[in-house]
Amino acid sequence: MISCTDFIPAYSELFKQLEKLGGPEAVTGFWEYLSDNFLHNLGTIVEEHGIRGCWLYWSHTLNEEAADFTMELDEEAGTFKIVMHRCPSKARLLEFQHIEPYHNYCGHCDLLYRRVLDPLGYEYKIDLSSVDKATCVCTVTRKPTE
Amino acid sequence: MAKESMTRSASDNIYLHKDFHGALSGGIDYLHKNYGEEAVREYLRAFTRSFYAPLIRNVEERGLSALKEHFERLYEIEGGDVCITCTEDELIIDVNACPAVMHMRKHGYKVADLFFETTRTVNETLCEGTQFAAELLHYDEETGRGRQRFYRRQA
Repeated sequence: MISCTDFIPAYSELFKQLEKLGGPEAVTGFWEYLSDNFLHNLGTIVEEHGIRGCWLYWSHTLNEEAADFTMELDEEAGTFKIVMHRCPSKARLLEFQHIEPYHNYCGHCDLLYRRVLDPLGYEYKIDLSSVDKATCVCTVTRKPTE
Repeated sequence: MAKESMTRSASDNIYLHKDFHGALSGGIDYLHKNYGEEAVREYLRAFTRSFYAPLIRNVEERGLSALKEHFERLYEIEGGDVCITCTEDELIIDVNACPAVMHMRKHGYKVADLFFETTRTVNETLCEGTQFAAELLHYDEETGRGRQRFYRRQA
C-alpha cells in the first residue's frame, strides 16, 4: 500500500510515465480525464452556491492538504482568490532531494479546474510563475452575463 | 452577499488527505485501460525504485526491520487495522481492512481492478537487489484484507 502522504511523488511519477508512453498529449489527456471524472463535487457545489461554491470546495481540500494559504471571497463582485503561500504538494516535491519531479507538475492545476469552471460561467486564471518557490495565485471570476 | 477571508498555515492542519487514494486509483485505472496491465506495473516499479530508494538502501543494510518500521509508520498514519510480526528472516503483515480501500468504498471512489498492485508490485520492488523477496499471499478486493509476506531468499 502507498500512503496518501506519499501520493504527490506517486502522482508526479505517473505524469512522467504517461509522457514516456505518449508524449505531453498523454499527460494532458489524463488531466482531462481526471477533471471530467473526479471533479464533479466542484461542479456541483458551484452550480448550487455560485462563486461561494469555490470557497466551500477549497476550504475543505486545502485544509485537508495542510496548505499554507490565504483565500478571499467577494460574492458581490463575483470573485474568489487563493494566494498559495506554500503549496503542500509542490513543496513536498521540492523537499525530496532524491527524486526529479515531473517538469510541468503544476500544469494540472491550470487545466483541471478551468475545465470545470469555464462551462459554468466562471473565468479561472492561475499564475504559476513562482512555482519553483511552491507559491501560486489563482483567481476565479464570474463572467458578465450577456 | 458576503466578503470572507481565511488564512491558514501548514501547521494548522495534519497532512492527511485520504481522497488522494481515490486519485491514485483513478490514475491506475486510466493507465490500465489506455496502456495495459504491464504499464501499471512498470509505473509502480519506477515510482518505488525512485521514491523509496532510501528505504531500499535501508533494507539492504538493516534487513527486514527497516521494512517493519516503514509499514508500522504507514499503517499508524493511515489508521490501519493490521498485525505485523517480524523475525530476521520473515516479515508478515496481516491487514484486516486496508485503509485506502475502505476510504474509497466509503466515499464512492472506484477501486481500480489493479489497485492490489500498489501492494504486490511495490512490495516486490522494495526487495529488488536485496536478500529478500515479497509475495502477496491473499487479497480481498472488497476490503483490501490480506496477508503480505517478505522473506529471506534461499542462498
